[in-house]
Amino acid sequence: MPPSSPDHPAQPMKPSYLKWLLGQGSRQGLWSLPLFIALAIALGLSLTTQQFTSTGNLFNLITQAMPLIITAIGQMFVILIGGLDLSVGSVISLSTAILALGGPAYVLIPAVFLLAALIGAVNGLVVTRLNVHPIIATLSMQYIVLGVTRILRPVSGGTVPDIVIASVSGTLLGIPLPVFWGIAVLLLSWKLLHGARFGLHLFAIGGGIASGMEKVAHNFGVAERRNILLAYVTCSCFAALAGVFLAGRIVSGDPNVGLLFELDAITAVAIGGTQLSGGVGSLHGTVIGALVMALLANGMNLTNMSPFIQTTVKGAILLLVVGLQSRKKMGL
Amino acid sequence: MASLVEMSNIAKAFGGSIALKSVSLALTPGSVHALMGENGAGKSTLMKILAGVHQPDAGEIRIKGERVTFARPKDAIAAGISTVFQELSLLPNLTIAENMFLGREPTGWLGTVDYPTMNQLAERALAELGLSLDPRTLVADLTIAERQFVEIAHGIKADANVFILDEPTAALNAADVEKLNRQIRRLRDAGKAIVYISHRMDEIFAICDTVTVLKDGELVGTKPLAQMTPDRLIAMMVGRELKDLFPPRATELGEVVLDIRDFRIDAAAKSFSLSLHKGEIIALAGLEGQGQQKLLRALVGLFQPAAGTVSKGGTTLPLPASAASGIRRLQAARIGFIPEDRKDEGLFLGLPVSHNITMALHAGRPSLALAKPYQREIAETLASLQVKSAGSEAPVASLSGGNQQKVLLGRYLAADMDVLLIEEPTRGVDIGAKSEIYKLLRRFTAKGGAAIVLSRETIELIGLCDRIYVMHANTLVGEMPAREATEHRILDAALVA
Repeated sequence: MPPSSPDHPAQPMKPSYLKWLLGQGSRQGLWSLPLFIALAIALGLSLTTQQFTSTGNLFNLITQAMPLIITAIGQMFVILIGGLDLSVGSVISLSTAILALGGPAYVLIPAVFLLAALIGAVNGLVVTRLNVHPIIATLSMQYIVLGVTRILRPVSGGTVPDIVIASVSGTLLGIPLPVFWGIAVLLLSWKLLHGARFGLHLFAIGGGIASGMEKVAHNFGVAERRNILLAYVTCSCFAALAGVFLAGRIVSGDPNVGLLFELDAITAVAIGGTQLSGGVGSLHGTVIGALVMALLANGMNLTNMSPFIQTTVKGAILLLVVGLQSRKKMGL
Repeated sequence: MASLVEMSNIAKAFGGSIALKSVSLALTPGSVHALMGENGAGKSTLMKILAGVHQPDAGEIRIKGERVTFARPKDAIAAGISTVFQELSLLPNLTIAENMFLGREPTGWLGTVDYPTMNQLAERALAELGLSLDPRTLVADLTIAERQFVEIAHGIKADANVFILDEPTAALNAADVEKLNRQIRRLRDAGKAIVYISHRMDEIFAICDTVTVLKDGELVGTKPLAQMTPDRLIAMMVGRELKDLFPPRATELGEVVLDIRDFRIDAAAKSFSLSLHKGEIIALAGLEGQGQQKLLRALVGLFQPAAGTVSKGGTTLPLPASAASGIRRLQAARIGFIPEDRKDEGLFLGLPVSHNITMALHAGRPSLALAKPYQREIAETLASLQVKSAGSEAPVASLSGGNQQKVLLGRYLAADMDVLLIEEPTRGVDIGAKSEIYKLLRRFTAKGGAAIVLSRETIELIGLCDRIYVMHANTLVGEMPAREATEHRILDAALVA
C-alpha cells in the first residue's frame, strides 16, 4: 500500500455477490461458510446413511438442536456488545431444577424467568457499574448459580409440570411442537435484534467497543449501560427458556444438564460468524452455527463415530471458520 | 448587515482557570467566519458554549436579536446551531443512515425501526451536500474523506442556520478539502453563517471572509480577511511575526551523515541520490503526495521502493528494507522515524508520558534484560522539552496535541539518535508549540544531529530547514538552500521539471 494514500487502499473490485457471500459490506459476519459446512454435512449424511433424511430423524435433530439454538441466540446478544456470558449453563440447570420442585406451572414458569432476569441483571450491573470483565463477572455467577442449583437438587429427579413436558413432546397438526418453539424463538429474537431500537443500539455499542470509540454511542444518546444490562438479561432469559425446553425433554430437574452449555453456545455463535470483539454478527449465522454443531452430533450418532472424534472435529471447524474470517485487527 | 448570532462579553472559568474573558463574536448570514488562536486560546470553549455543551458564567447570546440560553446541546440544535466536532465519531459497523439517526431513529409499528424512512431522510441530507452515497453503505466501507463528509452531513441539519466546523479538514487531502470548500460556499450562498476553525493558513484564506483571533481566552480582534496576510494573522495570534517563529539556521555543516544513493521509488520513476550532513535539517518539499513520504518510509521498510541504498557512517544498507525489521535496523544505526499520525502510529496513548519516552531506549536492549527505570533520562527529557503535563506518570492521551508531539520527539531525543526522519513535525499543533518544536529540532542538530523533514506546510519547511529538495512525480527535481526558497520557487521547481 503506498503510504501517501493510506486512506484510499486500492481494493480490487469484487463482484457484489461474492462480497455478499463473504459478509463484506454488511455487519453480519461470515455466515456463508458455516452454511456450506452445514449443507455439506447434511449432504454427506443423506448419502451415507439412510436414517438421516427420515422425518423422524429430522424432527429429532430439531429437538436436539433446540436448547443450543435458544442459548446461542441469547449468547449472541451479549457477544454483540463485546461481552460474554459464562453463566448460561448454570442458569439452564437451575431452571430445570426449579421446574422440578413440584408445584403449579403458572408459579414455576414465571419464577424461572424472574430468577433468570435477576441473574442477568446482576451480571449486567457487575459489568456496567463495577466495571468487572464479563468473563470474571459471569464466571462468578456461573459458580454461584451452580452451587444454588446443587443445593436445590443435588442429583437429578423431581417432577416437571405436565404442560412443560407436553409442550416439548406433543404435536400440533401433525408437526412436533419443538418446530413451533423454533419459530417462536426466531420471531422473538428477530424482533429484538432487527425490529427494535434495542438491536441497533447493541450493534452501535459493540461497534464502538470493537473500534475503540466507546463513547460514541453514548454521545449519540444511546443508553449504553441500560442496553448492556438488558443484553445480559435477554441472554439469561433465553438460557432459562432453553432450560424449560430441556426440563420438558428429560422430564426431570438435573443440576448437570447445562454443564458446558456456555462453551457450546459461544462456539455456535463464533462459528456463525459473530465476532467476539463485538458489533458484527447475525441471527441467521448463529442459528447456522448451532445447526452445524447439532448436525455433527447427529451425524456421529448415526454413523456410530466416537464422541472424542466429534469433539476434535468441533474444535477444528471452529478454528477453520474463525480463522478464515477476514479481520482488520486481532479479535476473538 | 444584521448579525445572525451575537455573543457578547462571554466569560467562562473551569474551576480556578479562566477559559474566556469577555469575548464577543458576531456572525453574519452568508459569511464564513474563521476562528483562530493557539490551542487553549478558548476557541473550543467559545464554540462549545454556542453549541450548548458549556454554559457561560457571564455574557449573553442573541440569535436574530433575541436573547437565548442553552442548557444542553439539544437546545442549541433546536435554535438552529449545528456542530461538526473535530474527532470522527461514526461507528464503522453501522450504515450511513444508522449513524446519522442513531439515538433518534424513526420508529413505526410496535417500536420497529423504520428503515425505509430513515434511509430516505439520510439520502436527502446527503444529496443536499451534493453527495451520492447509498445511505445503506457501512461506514467501514467509506474512505476517510467520505466519512468526514458523512460527519458533516450528520452535523448539518437541514433547518440549521449556523454551522460550527471544528478542524474539519484534519483528515482530508487537498482535493477533498476543495470539495468541502465547495459545500461551505454553497451553505454560505444559501445565507447560512459558518464558523470555521483550522490551523491551516491556506484554508483560512481560501474560504473565510472574516477572522476572529483569540489569545489566552481574550479577544485579540476581528478583521476582514481581505485586509490580512498570513504574517499579520500569525502576529495577531502569537504577538510576533512569522520570522520570529523559526530559530536561526545552521551556520556550519559537518560531514555527510546519511547518504541515499540511486534511489528509485518505483520501476517507472527516475532514480536519484541525496545526502544529509551533520547539523543540517533538510526538507522534502513539493506538491502533496509526490513521493516525499514514500522516500522516508522506504528507509524504515514501511514502503517497498524499487531500488536504492542508504549508508550511514560506513555501513551501507540495501533497499528495499523488510517491513518487519526495517525500523529496528535503522534504530540500531541510530536513526529514528517519527510518523505523521502521532495518535495511530506514534504514541501509546493510554501509557504514561514516561513509558512513551523510554520506549526507544528499551527497544534497543535485549528482551529479557531487566528493565531500567531511566528516571534520569525521563526527567532530563521532560525538562528540556518543557512538556506541560500532570507529571511523567500522566497518560499521554491527557496532553494537548503540541505536548504529545513533544513527547514523541522526546522519545528519540532521549534515545540519542543521530538522524531523525520526521513526517509532519507540527501537525495539528498550535503556533506556540510549533515554535518550541522548531527550537528543539535546532538544538538537536546543533549537538551534531541531523534531520529530514517533510510537511504539508511549505512555510514551515522554508523557515525550519537548511536545504530544500523538491520532489515531483516520485523523483527529485530540484534542490535549493532554504534561505533562498520561496513558496513560488518551490512550486516552480516542481512544475517546470
